[in-house]
Amino acid sequence: MELRPILSTLRRHKLTATLLVLQAALTCAIVCNVVFMIANRLQRISVPTGIAESELSVIPSASIEEGENPQARHAADLAALRGVRGVQSAVAVSYSLPLDRSESSSGICPSKQALDRAMQLNTIEGSGCMQPAVYDGTPGLVGTLGLHLVAGRDFRPEDYVSQGKPAVAIVSRALAQHLYPGKQALGQSMYDGDNYIRIVGIVDRFLRPNLRSPGVDEDSMIWPQLPPGSGVLYVLRTAPGDRARVLQEGSAELLKLNANRLISAARTQTYEEIRAAYFQRDTTMIGLLLASALGLLFVTALGITGLANFWVQQRTRSIGIRRAIGATRGDILRYFQTENFLIVGVGIALGMLLAFLLNAELMQHYELARLPLFYLPMGALVLWGLGQLAVLGPALRAAAVPPVVATRST
Amino acid sequence: MFRYYLDLAWRRCRQGPSMVLLLVLTMAIGIASCMTALTIFGALSGEPLPGISPYLHVVTMDARQAVDANNNDYDKPDAYLNLTDAKALVDAQRARQQVALAQSYTLVGRPDGKQSDQVQGLLAHGPLLAMLGVPLRHGRPWTAEEQAAQAPVVVIDSELAQKLFGTEDAVGRSVSLGSGSFRVVGVSAPWKPRTQFLDVQRNQGNVLGQPEQFFVPAQAALAAGVGPLTAGECGKGAAVVSFQSAEVDKCRWLEVWVALDTPATVAAYDRFVAGYADAQHAAGRFVYPPQVALYGVPSWMSMNHVVPDDVGLNLALAGAFLLLCLVNVAGLLAARFLRRQADVTIRRALGASRRDVFAQHLVETGVLGLIGGALALPLTWLGLWIVRMQPVAYADAAHFSVSAFAALLLLSLVVGLVVGILPAWRVCRQPPAMQIKLG
Repeated sequence: MELRPILSTLRRHKLTATLLVLQAALTCAIVCNVVFMIANRLQRISVPTGIAESELSVIPSASIEEGENPQARHAADLAALRGVRGVQSAVAVSYSLPLDRSESSSGICPSKQALDRAMQLNTIEGSGCMQPAVYDGTPGLVGTLGLHLVAGRDFRPEDYVSQGKPAVAIVSRALAQHLYPGKQALGQSMYDGDNYIRIVGIVDRFLRPNLRSPGVDEDSMIWPQLPPGSGVLYVLRTAPGDRARVLQEGSAELLKLNANRLISAARTQTYEEIRAAYFQRDTTMIGLLLASALGLLFVTALGITGLANFWVQQRTRSIGIRRAIGATRGDILRYFQTENFLIVGVGIALGMLLAFLLNAELMQHYELARLPLFYLPMGALVLWGLGQLAVLGPALRAAAVPPVVATRST
Repeated sequence: MFRYYLDLAWRRCRQGPSMVLLLVLTMAIGIASCMTALTIFGALSGEPLPGISPYLHVVTMDARQAVDANNNDYDKPDAYLNLTDAKALVDAQRARQQVALAQSYTLVGRPDGKQSDQVQGLLAHGPLLAMLGVPLRHGRPWTAEEQAAQAPVVVIDSELAQKLFGTEDAVGRSVSLGSGSFRVVGVSAPWKPRTQFLDVQRNQGNVLGQPEQFFVPAQAALAAGVGPLTAGECGKGAAVVSFQSAEVDKCRWLEVWVALDTPATVAAYDRFVAGYADAQHAAGRFVYPPQVALYGVPSWMSMNHVVPDDVGLNLALAGAFLLLCLVNVAGLLAARFLRRQADVTIRRALGASRRDVFAQHLVETGVLGLIGGALALPLTWLGLWIVRMQPVAYADAAHFSVSAFAALLLLSLVVGLVVGILPAWRVCRQPPAMQIKLG
């Protein structure tokens, strides 16, 4: 394909050609970043929790009975809940589950020396101490949540305490590695400032109630402490199909047992609802980002088609002349396609630069990583494809111009 | 002349209706997306309490009373003070107005137990209602004497009064609050700040202000077992953190807000608080250097990320979208104008100056912009409706307002003119002779 005639034509339409280049560049820059943000959010909302999400449901219950022993109340409630048809197991926890936001965390060190180091540094940064999320619960928590025990053992009945701190704990694999890098964590004694806590088990993965940063999101530990307060979350494990019925029957059962309690209907829900609520903002944002990316591409395609249409109309006569002196339909078609390819190509080159500038700007204001390089060739391909698609109609129309037009005057 | 240009613009619009439709629709979509984001941004970034919040400042200092090295949640001094310090600052009366407050959420009922409701309210020490401008419908706020005597008095809002007693004027009646019986001394109109700025720690996730339905002196409430929503920052060895506990004597749980009118008074108050805190540090009560700082409402809100980053991101996206639409329209307009070079030539040959041609084309694009704006109106309404359907914390802010309408009209006119400048400039630069030859 001879490029010279295309270039000399474009030189005569500098303003429109420039605007088209600018449009392609802006679209390339924005769409690359938007798609990157979508990918980030998708990754965020698909984080695994380590528990049997589709089989769990929760009922929050706060007893308002005066002078009651909370642990006796929980035991009685759990016995009643286990009697509900379809409930495979049930435990009580105080508030916390992965992604339900109410987090209790505690500073914990691999040894007393590490704590002293932290005190000296006045920060736990670099001392080897960690800040894991702490989960408590009644016996059977590991099994009910469906946590995957990879080393050691589950808690024994004698491990459980109702007051004070327990002497043993089960930690997530991530926490084990962070506290004792390169060492066997099982059997080690962690120090929390007052007590030593021995690691008796390690679970594969157990996400925090509140995400912080990917490096520490799986730092959690379970200790065998019975929920101390009157307000607890009852966690029920059932077959997925039983959840709705069990939630209803379980709440009714609890109220029948003792009506002097508050059960928030809004928070009586399946675990999947807890998860969806946690990522609500992200899913909304993904929808919005997707809509704007599509909108941008659509508007750009419209612009390319509109301009190409204009040019075809404007050049009808010269197209006719070219046909009359021997150009084939294919030549005309390729002429417009090549022209579009060139314009969009220049736009893409400029757009890549813009994409990085925009990314740098976004990194300053929002929690966003650097744009990976492979987004650029992908963005280029998408834009070139879009340009070709958008110009196809007008180009075909141009190719259909009969040579006889050359003999007519406009 | 302007009318003639309008007439010309109208004639031209009728000549290429499909192209005109494409132009105005592109502008309309760009304007509508921008307006939707702007409306939400505007609703969330204004003053939370118009006329009042610009003068409010919150006191922050490192008031920890025990070594707390093993706590990486603590990165800078926060606003929570314990009752002793909060009272000392409020009772010193060194600002125009001052109050210590904490968010609470508790059961308020009739003494006979027949009606009750779990509602949100504020525990306060100081003239809360006067300072925040909470309007009273009946009765009066509590007095300094009642507060000092820890008298069980309360102000409830008219909705709670209606629910409990079936009448708004509940002054003189009693309500049960915790274990106590509190006399209603005032009934306020329903009140909430536009955006959340009081006790943001206990209002995480709320972007918009929530209705506060009762106001009660903090010490009287504590005596009746009614505490803040969460215990706040408690030292080691304190009771296990639990919701709504009144056992907060080892905790920092109150925010001190002060009304200060001028930079000079702010500086003076800052010095006063720093003096107080340094004295506590010297006396060994505060174990860390206090690092006192006062924050105005806007900086406090942005520091605590009350308005989610997403809102700013939305606005940026919508702005980028509008920009792209503008470039698009400018390109189409340039092509459209240049196709009509023959008309321009004749006008130029007949004596129209470049300025005339420029003005004529700008009028045309201005008209197109306004048509785009008119189309953007229903689209904006649709966009806001979609936002309201989303389960986001700021969904209620997505309402079309008169000022938004004015902004939309202005925006569309500006858009129309901006997109027209380049093409109009290009077309008026054509030398007449050249044009005639071409024609």
